[in-house]
Amino acid sequence: MNKSMIDLIYLVPLLPLIGFFITGLFGKKQKSEALIGGIASAAVGGAFVVTALIFMTLVGHGSEERSHIVRLFTWMQAGSFTIDVSYQVDQLSILYTLIITGIGTLIHIYSIGYMHGDKSFPRFFAYLNLFIFMMLNLVLASNFLLTFLGWEGVGLCSYLLIGFWYERKFDGSFIVWTGDAAKKAFIVNRIGDFGVLVAMFLMYNQFHTLDYTAVNAQAAAGFQPGATLITTITLLLFLGCTGKSAQIPLGVWLPDAMAGPTPVSALIHAATMVTAGIFLIARNATMFALSPTTMAVVAGIGVATALTAALVGLVQNDIKKVLAYSTVSQLGFMFIALGVGAFTAGVFHVMTHAFFKALLFLGSGSVIHGMHEEQDIQKMGGLKKYMPITYKTFFIGTLAIAGIFPFAGFFSKDEILWNAFSQGHWVLWAVAVIAAFCTAFYMFRLLYLTFGGKERFDHHHIHPHESPKTMTFPLIVLAFLSVVGGFLGIPYALSIGGSIPNLLEHWLEPIFAPAMEILRRPEVHEVHAIEYGLMAASLMIAILGILLARSYYKNASDQPQAMANRFSGIYKLLWRKWMLDEVYQYFIVDVFYTISNGFLWKIFDVKIVDGVVNGTARSIASASELLRKIQSGIAQNYAIMMMVGIVAILVWLGLGT
Amino acid sequence: MEQDFLLSAPITFLSIMATILMVVDALIKKSSKITFTLSWLTLGITGVLAAWTLKHNGTAFNGMITVGSFGAFFDILFCMGALLTLIAARPYMQRENLEHDEFHSLILFAVSGMMIMAHANSLLILFIGIEIMSVCFYILSGYMRSSVRSVEASLKYFLLGAFATGFLVYGMALIYGATGSFDYNQIFMAAQHELRFPSLMMIGIGLLLIGLSFKAAAFPFHQWAPDVYQGAPTVVTAFMSTAGKIAAFSAFMPIVAIVSPADTEMKIQIILAIISAATMLVGNISALTQTNIKRMLAYSSVAHAGYLMMGLVAISAHHARGVSGILYYLSAYLFMQLGAFVIVSILERSGEKNLEIEDYAGLSKRHPVLAALMTIFMLSLAGIPPFAGFFGKYYLFTAAIESGYTWLTIIAVISSIISVYFYIGLIVKMYFTEPNESGESTQQLPGIASITLAVSAVAVVFLGLMPAGLLDVIKLLFGN
Amino acid sequence: MSTTVILFTILSIGAIASGISLVTRRNPVSAAMSLIVHFFMLAGLYLTLQAQFVAIIQILVYAGAIMVLVIFVIMLLNLGKEENLTEKFSMRTTLALALGGLFVVQFLTAFLGKKTGMNALPEKSMSIGTTEGIGNVLFTQYLFPFEAISLLLLAAIVGSILLAKRKHEAS
Repeated sequence: MNKSMIDLIYLVPLLPLIGFFITGLFGKKQKSEALIGGIASAAVGGAFVVTALIFMTLVGHGSEERSHIVRLFTWMQAGSFTIDVSYQVDQLSILYTLIITGIGTLIHIYSIGYMHGDKSFPRFFAYLNLFIFMMLNLVLASNFLLTFLGWEGVGLCSYLLIGFWYERKFDGSFIVWTGDAAKKAFIVNRIGDFGVLVAMFLMYNQFHTLDYTAVNAQAAAGFQPGATLITTITLLLFLGCTGKSAQIPLGVWLPDAMAGPTPVSALIHAATMVTAGIFLIARNATMFALSPTTMAVVAGIGVATALTAALVGLVQNDIKKVLAYSTVSQLGFMFIALGVGAFTAGVFHVMTHAFFKALLFLGSGSVIHGMHEEQDIQKMGGLKKYMPITYKTFFIGTLAIAGIFPFAGFFSKDEILWNAFSQGHWVLWAVAVIAAFCTAFYMFRLLYLTFGGKERFDHHHIHPHESPKTMTFPLIVLAFLSVVGGFLGIPYALSIGGSIPNLLEHWLEPIFAPAMEILRRPEVHEVHAIEYGLMAASLMIAILGILLARSYYKNASDQPQAMANRFSGIYKLLWRKWMLDEVYQYFIVDVFYTISNGFLWKIFDVKIVDGVVNGTARSIASASELLRKIQSGIAQNYAIMMMVGIVAILVWLGLGT
Repeated sequence: MEQDFLLSAPITFLSIMATILMVVDALIKKSSKITFTLSWLTLGITGVLAAWTLKHNGTAFNGMITVGSFGAFFDILFCMGALLTLIAARPYMQRENLEHDEFHSLILFAVSGMMIMAHANSLLILFIGIEIMSVCFYILSGYMRSSVRSVEASLKYFLLGAFATGFLVYGMALIYGATGSFDYNQIFMAAQHELRFPSLMMIGIGLLLIGLSFKAAAFPFHQWAPDVYQGAPTVVTAFMSTAGKIAAFSAFMPIVAIVSPADTEMKIQIILAIISAATMLVGNISALTQTNIKRMLAYSSVAHAGYLMMGLVAISAHHARGVSGILYYLSAYLFMQLGAFVIVSILERSGEKNLEIEDYAGLSKRHPVLAALMTIFMLSLAGIPPFAGFFGKYYLFTAAIESGYTWLTIIAVISSIISVYFYIGLIVKMYFTEPNESGESTQQLPGIASITLAVSAVAVVFLGLMPAGLLDVIKLLFGN
Repeated sequence: MSTTVILFTILSIGAIASGISLVTRRNPVSAAMSLIVHFFMLAGLYLTLQAQFVAIIQILVYAGAIMVLVIFVIMLLNLGKEENLTEKFSMRTTLALALGGLFVVQFLTAFLGKKTGMNALPEKSMSIGTTEGIGNVLFTQYLFPFEAISLLLLAAIVGSILLAKRKHEAS
């Protein structure tokens, strides 16, 4: 049961891969949606079961024996450069795998209902399964290259799924079609990927290996904190993280990624793929801990993103865009945690966020489904009575993200804030608290506008209805998780004198031990009074945000419009998302376009490159013509040609002997 | 003696079955189905037998042949090639109205010749193996007796082949004169000491290399290849240009290894390097202006002989990477070249129609799957990752660099770049050109040839994605 | 000069002369006759090497059986003095002759002036030339090549039948 169970890890990525092949190859001919959806869900569900069993096995081991490397086969070898396909099963990766397969299964089930009747039903499930496979490779890999394969793979799947309805129009910044949104996501991500690639070159050059364990051990052994090389590498890796996890400056793609079907937004753009950046940093916590500069950058970017995205969220009217900005903002929180060295808190927030954000997205999907593809919350209202289950679960999710005790979000967010404060970064703390206030506000704005108040939709055309069971079941499960998920990481202050253990911290401790060793943090659990105070403060602030939203939006009032008019400058700036897309368009895209069109194409390419290429091509072509003439088709001539060769060879051999 | 028969089972079994097949064919009317079944079974079993002997390493029949290891690896390649050819040939032969009668037994005879070549441990055996294979090829290329081109190809191949064989035998005789033996091991031993007749030895080696270069279609002994490959029935070409070339290199590798001690002044090494460079340049440059797809692929196969000879240069320089590089490349080459020719054979129409590159315009619209597969094979032949051809080239190139032949590698890279032009050109033709006129009305399905295509495509992709698997096997068998 | 050397000189000059005559004769029958002479000369050379069996087989099989067939074919096809068979003294012939000449020169320079020497035949080869000796090694040491050659001949026979037979109507 013990070691052999862990060796079964290969089944975890294999099952979704098989699912991908079955649905991809045979799905087209299969009429039954239930069968296709069932196979795809079963593939991921099976992976979840195996993961859960492996998790149990790991729990049974002592905390020192929970890290295993399962080598499957050698992927490629060139000289001394060897890359194995091998999986690292340890506390961090198994946690991620549980989240991915668990939530993945729920979202697969949900999609059976959501995608019902779509003409590309099998294609959707094939992509979803492929995504799960790639994502699992990303988190299970024991070396950078395999992670990078998964990293690129999830990028590809994200591209395919954002553009899933490629023939539909989509209203985004400088974007007309959903296909454009997909391209935008892909291209922006490529910039980040470039950083990861260069970082890998540097690491291989320095350490002659790409194995996580070896790289981090060698970095810790061979470099003092603050070494330039380590800073460069970690900053480059972080560039990749800002792409994948939608942070400043590469976060512009995520709101437009909402062009994809809603289950995709829930799975890829909220629960799993966007947290890959956090994973990469957590996996290499040792190396990041070695560079104070990078840590400061990570925290700074995190807090800036958390605030700016939360502010944009205040004014958006598209239900999915609000959630998208809230995701960006929450990811910012996670990076704050990582940046201040609270790795466990970051991973904790990844987990709780996966629960409640998946719940919120799926809930919004349920709303959109029930409202016949309407996404504008200004045209909703009063849906409470039409969709009771969706409403209740959505309400729980909103409470969780707003950070209300005892929902999951409270614990994880509080731990991040507490860590920021206790490490002395009180500016970070203050800004993060403001972001948390905004979060509470816009989430309840969303809730009231959607489910409460008057019905603002057209009753003749739209008949809201509750979604089928396949869709509500995942909502209920996720709602349950959003309620209880937080108890896995009960802070010390609330643990009744330590009698309730902080399970998650205890679980992840060995993973981050080397990094903590480098950071050498003093233990700060003693000052309980401050912690209680902060907890109360953040709870108060969240409630304040809720109350404000309630007064504005519970019943139709002209307060919001008045605010918008008074601060019209800021309002417009927020409405246009800080003009980031415009800045990118005019200062980067257009400039590049001008350079490539005016110089690279018309002068460099046409005149210089083509000139040289054509000249070479012409001479090769004439050589080819000459050789064609020698190939006369007459056997005697060939024999003579052979004789020339023979005599030449013999003369050469005979020389000197 | 029992041990000898047991371990040489792949050769003996296949040869006996080939003979039986001929008898069956003579006794039973309408026997094509039976002979087909028998022959693929035979090839399959032979492949399994070869795999079974793979781990052995020794000689049999008084040191005449080697068993297991090296030879067995090649046995598997030959059987695979012949099997895929036979499957692809069935729909082709039916369409071209060719009788199957002797086709199967001739293919099997050819395979047994190749196996004898790969197992040879004596120049005598090598010669017999080469001749068995060549005789079968002469006949097979003239198999389409109604076509003038096919008969002409056969005659041309025969005349030039006989011419080259003359030099080959003369070379063997001279080496015998210099060392007093046909046995590989003894020649190797003798070559390490001061020879009594060094000039006899050198000229003998030279003539031997010339004869083998002819079989491998290396410059300047390559000129038969385009004519013969174009004239021969397409499935036969597929077989000759893959299994035949692999056989030539299976003979070439040990020969280069055993004579290299005599090569004190590195003259042979340099000759091999020059032939290699010239072959890939001439092959790729000639392929550029071809309009007939079979001819283009024929030149491409010439060019690939050039790449493979880089591995021989490395072997001659005592570099172990040469062996593994060639073995890997040959395995990859088998599938990509065979696949490409089989697609040509599927699209071909009786009377040598549909063979111009022009005819492939807009293929992606008419046969999207065939076009996609052809794209895979072309990309692999061009050496573009992640397909098998890329890693094959990569291993050969590094082997050459590590043996000190940087200039050769530079030429190889240049000629690879040239080759990209016509390989990609075909892809462009298939995908981005409109079909000139809807001339083709009958949509012939590939039939069971699709098995060949599927296996080849999967192999090309698999070897490209997981090169380590095969390399592990090679390493296990031959050290490094 | 020993007798062997004298015999060798005579026989080899004869072989070369008849070979040249074989390719230059325009009349097929006289070309065939030159070939027979050539075979006899070769048989003689084998004899000087103590290879009695091969010498006899050379005469029986080549000069006897095969040449009879060749002459039969010539007679049956009624090949006369065929002008068309010869070609003009062209560029190609010149080149071929020049290259052939170079080839010969190369061999001569490689072998002449080197200490090739004439060695007494080893003891073993005295007995190996007999029928008994050949039969002995053929079925022991050289069993594999012997069988392999039979395979070669079989393939060649199948091939020649295949190429010669009439194509039967679409089956």
